[in-house]
Amino acid sequence: MKIKRITESLLDTIIYLSELFNLILNAFKNLPALKINPVRTVFFRQIYFAGIETLGKMVIIGLLIGIVIISQITSLVGVGRGELIGKILVWVVIRELGPLFAAIVIIARSVTAISAELGSMNVQGEIASIEMLGIDPERYLIMPRIIAITLSAVILTFYFELAAILGGIIVTSLFWGVPFEQHTAGILTSLTIPELSASLVKSLLFGLVISAVSCSQGLKVSGSITKIPQATTKATMQSLFFVFIFDGIITLIFFL
Amino acid sequence: MITLECASLKGFLDCASLAVSGGRSCIILTETEFEKNLLLRIFTGLTRLDSGKIFIFGKEVSSFSCGELNAVRKRMGIVLNNGGLISNLKVWENIMLPLSYHSSLSHHDMDEKMLSILGKIGYDDDIAALPGPLPVYKKRLAGLARAMLMEPDLIIYDSVFDGLSPEIRNKALETITVFQRQKEGRASLFFDMDEGLLDYIRADSIYTLKKGKLYERN
Repeated sequence: MKIKRITESLLDTIIYLSELFNLILNAFKNLPALKINPVRTVFFRQIYFAGIETLGKMVIIGLLIGIVIISQITSLVGVGRGELIGKILVWVVIRELGPLFAAIVIIARSVTAISAELGSMNVQGEIASIEMLGIDPERYLIMPRIIAITLSAVILTFYFELAAILGGIIVTSLFWGVPFEQHTAGILTSLTIPELSASLVKSLLFGLVISAVSCSQGLKVSGSITKIPQATTKATMQSLFFVFIFDGIITLIFFL
Repeated sequence: MITLECASLKGFLDCASLAVSGGRSCIILTETEFEKNLLLRIFTGLTRLDSGKIFIFGKEVSSFSCGELNAVRKRMGIVLNNGGLISNLKVWENIMLPLSYHSSLSHHDMDEKMLSILGKIGYDDDIAALPGPLPVYKKRLAGLARAMLMEPDLIIYDSVFDGLSPEIRNKALETITVFQRQKEGRASLFFDMDEGLLDYIRADSIYTLKKGKLYERN
């Protein structure tokens, strides 16, 4: 009985993962649809909501995180170790925190919004109505969301990392009197291709997974409006879960 | 134009048949809203039949892929009972959606076309507003404008006269009649549950769905 249940839940997980994979694959297949005006409008609206509207807050969070990290490192290793401080800052911010924080902010802001919006559209028969117009919902609703969220994740990660490193450098230079050049030397020597590509791969993958999960959960809502909050909660938790899993896997692949 | 041949769907349709040719109008009466909605989904290819055939514009569509079905749907206009508008798009975006998605007309031409149709059907509300707070009649009008803009060969009306005052109903009926005559071969299908519809619409054929079968009335 127990084995049967485990097998069933394992099968469900595999089916769900293949659904997510299909959504992502179809989004790439449907990329040429961005030439169509209404599809492009949906894409730009998502970029505005998930990327541009979030940018200011992301930069502030980045600055604060950079200040906190550099303060902790400086009090741990001492003021004269500018190169080491720069190195640790790059490792912590670029390798880990940048993609992770961008993903978490997107989850808090966009995952809930997308799953609730698609869920409500499904319950109210709007997705069926779109299909009746001869419009493929995967091209009009799903693809622009997946691509826009993924691009936003990459861009937000970049701005977060930039703000965190700048914030850290400015604080140590101002309050501990560490020369600016000492940090930049440490940062530049540590900024290697693996660091940058790990950050890029993570943010790309997080964006794809987060958007696919939120679209999938939104599309699954049917019958009653009361199922929308359940879908948003599920989408949020699953997105967080996947982000941490993929974070671990990519870190292992790149730096083990 | 549209033909059902011994269409069956478990628990709903039992070898039902129907034929509506181009230029004709047809009323299909069902007993429940569920039946009406399911029939509408079958006619638009959203629900597949278990057996039997459905021909739309002379093509057997029951095995069509999503892309092929969308090409067929482009030639159909559907005016839903609740308007079928997308809640996060403004009224004008809703009306323009299929046209701007499927056609390569310039913005200016599309705007002109939309404004001309809105003038004809007498839509006088703010088209820059979201459709949520609009009365159902206005939503249906916007849905009608959206369907008309595509100049369809087949237009399906889903209980569009439901709950309208006789005055508004007659006006809507006039618009619909004029629209059908505008294009040669254009067919109209009226889905409803209310037999009262027969008092004010003269259709070429009338079908009633009972116990899974479609019966044609004399």
